[in-house]
Amino acid sequence: MASEEEEPKWVQYPLDSNSYKILDKICVHASAVVYKAICVPMDYAVVAIKAINLDQSRTDFDYVRREARTLSLLSHPNILNAYGSFTVDRSHWVVMPFMSAGSLQSIISSSFPDGLSEPCIAIVLKETLLALSYLHNQGLLHRDIKASNILVDSIGSVKLSDFGISASIYESDSIRGWSSSPSSSSLMLTDVAAAPYWMAPEVIHSHHGYSFKADIWSFGITALELVHGRPPLSHLPPSESLLQMITKRFRFSDYEKHKNNKHKNFSKAFKEMVALCLDQDPSKRPSAYQLLKHSFFENCEGSDFLVKNVLQGLPSVEERFKESKITHSDLSSSNTGDDDREDDEGNSVRQKTEERRISVWNFNEDGFELDPVFPSESKDNSVVKRVRFGGEIIIHDQGGESGELSGDVSPSSQVEGGLENQVISGHSESESSRIGGEGQSGGGGVERKGTFLDGLVALRLSLDDQRAKVSQMISMVSGEAVSGEVSREEQMAQLIQKLTAELENERKKSFELELELEMIKFRAEGYDDSGSTADEA
Amino acid sequence: MKSLFKTKPRTPPDVVRQTRDLLLYAQRSSSSDSRESKREEKMSELYKNIRELKTILYGNSESEPVAEACAQLTQEFFRENTLRLLILCLPKLNLEARKDATQIVANLQRQQVHSRLIASDYLEANIDLMDVLIVGYENTDMALHYGAMLRECIRHQSVARYVLGSQHMKKFFDYIQLPNFDIAADAAATFKELLTRHKSTVAEFLSKNYDWFFAEYNSKLLESTNYITRRQAVKLLGDILLDRSNSAVMTRYVSSRENLRILMNLLRESSKSIQIEAFHVFKLFAANQNKPPDIVNILVANKSKLLRLFADFKTDKEDQEFEADKAQVVKEIAALEPRDRP
Repeated sequence: MASEEEEPKWVQYPLDSNSYKILDKICVHASAVVYKAICVPMDYAVVAIKAINLDQSRTDFDYVRREARTLSLLSHPNILNAYGSFTVDRSHWVVMPFMSAGSLQSIISSSFPDGLSEPCIAIVLKETLLALSYLHNQGLLHRDIKASNILVDSIGSVKLSDFGISASIYESDSIRGWSSSPSSSSLMLTDVAAAPYWMAPEVIHSHHGYSFKADIWSFGITALELVHGRPPLSHLPPSESLLQMITKRFRFSDYEKHKNNKHKNFSKAFKEMVALCLDQDPSKRPSAYQLLKHSFFENCEGSDFLVKNVLQGLPSVEERFKESKITHSDLSSSNTGDDDREDDEGNSVRQKTEERRISVWNFNEDGFELDPVFPSESKDNSVVKRVRFGGEIIIHDQGGESGELSGDVSPSSQVEGGLENQVISGHSESESSRIGGEGQSGGGGVERKGTFLDGLVALRLSLDDQRAKVSQMISMVSGEAVSGEVSREEQMAQLIQKLTAELENERKKSFELELELEMIKFRAEGYDDSGSTADEA
Repeated sequence: MKSLFKTKPRTPPDVVRQTRDLLLYAQRSSSSDSRESKREEKMSELYKNIRELKTILYGNSESEPVAEACAQLTQEFFRENTLRLLILCLPKLNLEARKDATQIVANLQRQQVHSRLIASDYLEANIDLMDVLIVGYENTDMALHYGAMLRECIRHQSVARYVLGSQHMKKFFDYIQLPNFDIAADAAATFKELLTRHKSTVAEFLSKNYDWFFAEYNSKLLESTNYITRRQAVKLLGDILLDRSNSAVMTRYVSSRENLRILMNLLRESSKSIQIEAFHVFKLFAANQNKPPDIVNILVANKSKLLRLFADFKTDKEDQEFEADKAQVVKEIAALEPRDRP
């Protein structure tokens, strides 16, 4: 059970701005600024005030309302509550406890660029899980789990914050419908809300619906973020990362660069725990409650440990904010500071880079990273080829001879190590000829052809889907560009151009594939006909 | 206690009955007159029962709700006065149980038994419960729970009609502006629901109560000093007046000089959001083909100012409908000539 200790009743903080004195800015979001302030009538108590500009955008208002309501109804030691909220002219002020150590993301970027140590990670993850377990038990999804939403105060208590995009399964529209069956609670949501790096695969493909397990995925990504100092794929700007995850396209050069980071040694239990969270199949991920019982959290240290090993000597949040503003203006174009991937050079590198379609991201327990998995040409799921980096390449063909199709067509499975580049380019070059070739060789029988066709049809569907997403992205990005500052507008315009080009590419590929599909259908029909006549004979 | 109840699985009506008994206990007892430990035990048993009712109605991660069980539960719930007990005892429950109870009440409003919404029948016979729920906005601790229950209950047309016609309706103008943002926003959501959900009932209410309602609406909401109040009010006003079923009310509204003055002030606000919403009401004044002379005269007197305002009046995103409306309004105003009073 989630701990049910009753919080002491909130003292009522005054609901007028005159009672507060703003001291420092500590954080700036898209439409909100967080200040450190003191509340004069409450004996100069230090508080944080989140000021949200309500006049900026129409859609914000619903989020603001939802967050206010959600926060007032939650009560858990690991959830950052509000003391109260009220409007001040065109702003909405939320008065909250001041979390003096700031967010884990800010702690990492200021003092632990290579990530935190395992015992510290265990503490903060466990506290976060307690909050998640409570939330899920309430029928609430947080939908934005990441290190920047996990806050720490001076005595090492850890609190989950930012419920602006949380959603209740009890209030989702599918259940709201008056006419629809009253008790049909599919407990599923379909809208996309969270930040791209932390987003679960089923959320990206949101038409399938997702639920609590999407938070568990984000929790797993957050664990990696604490280990490496940043989430996987974060060497790309957010829009591109989303695009990458959508198109499932992966660039080798980037990945290897990232891989060169030396890893500290992490326990098997930890890696296993993260692997459970990052299962592609949401139903196989454990619940927050089950995760709490995982051996990784068994001998967890207390908050004192966090104070001693992380908080001591940390610059204050307000100092950190000033620091980050300076560095941000230096590196305004690159949000992660990964500056060897800047425009000119980056572009040429990108053009030279081999691009390959991959089907899923698999969690590589040894490397403690997400690894790409390339689509196998067979429907047989046991034939999953895994490519690992940093060592010699291992393309693992578990299916052996039963997966004859992939054995047949992929020259790469015969290559053993050391021939990485050849394998990759060989693979992509031969892709189309293989597809064409398979139709002719056809010795394996009709069944195989059927599954092959299915695969192609699925691929086409997914391409259509991706195309729609890309155009959505483009409109999103162009929308941003309008409201953005002049300096960013140029970058945005470039990005739009790039995206448009990608879209065009995608269209071409899709068209080619459609053509091929038609060809194969045509051949398959021919085959079927000849097969049936043979039977009759 | 453990072994006593575990002999056979309880049916949904059993859970309702036991909940009712425990609610009766909670209502009678107060922490002073009974032994603390016994009370605590009973209360935690009550919380478990309430949670179980919720699980039957909504299902959980392991199982989907079963229609038959839901129907049985609903029938037993409304057979006796369980809803009244639950509402009245709500302040005595802990936060988690209050939230569960709110979700139960919400769900019960949609449950059909023999294709009838029996919740509606129950509420008609116990309509005074609405008074408890509405006044709940004045209690900071209860407002969000009672408010959510209220919003679910007014999905029934007869209940909405009662609330609209009640003396409480006037109170909403104050609830909307309570200093607690979460409570004010909840009251605003209920207010909007009351004035938009059941078209015929709303039209009837507005034409019967036109004078006091719009006098309050103008002075307390549209001319409020609170930005949020003005913004929400002008948006809702547009929604109400543009609804076909309220056309009689609309015609009356756009014939008033005072109303025009207020809307023109809103058009001049520095907030873009308010300006745009105000335009959607203002256009009705301009489009009215039977403008009274004093309306025409105001528009003529402000002609050049209005045309200048509309000249660079744009939405953030391109909006063709808005542009078309604007062109129409500009045309109407440009063509106006002063008229003598009859």
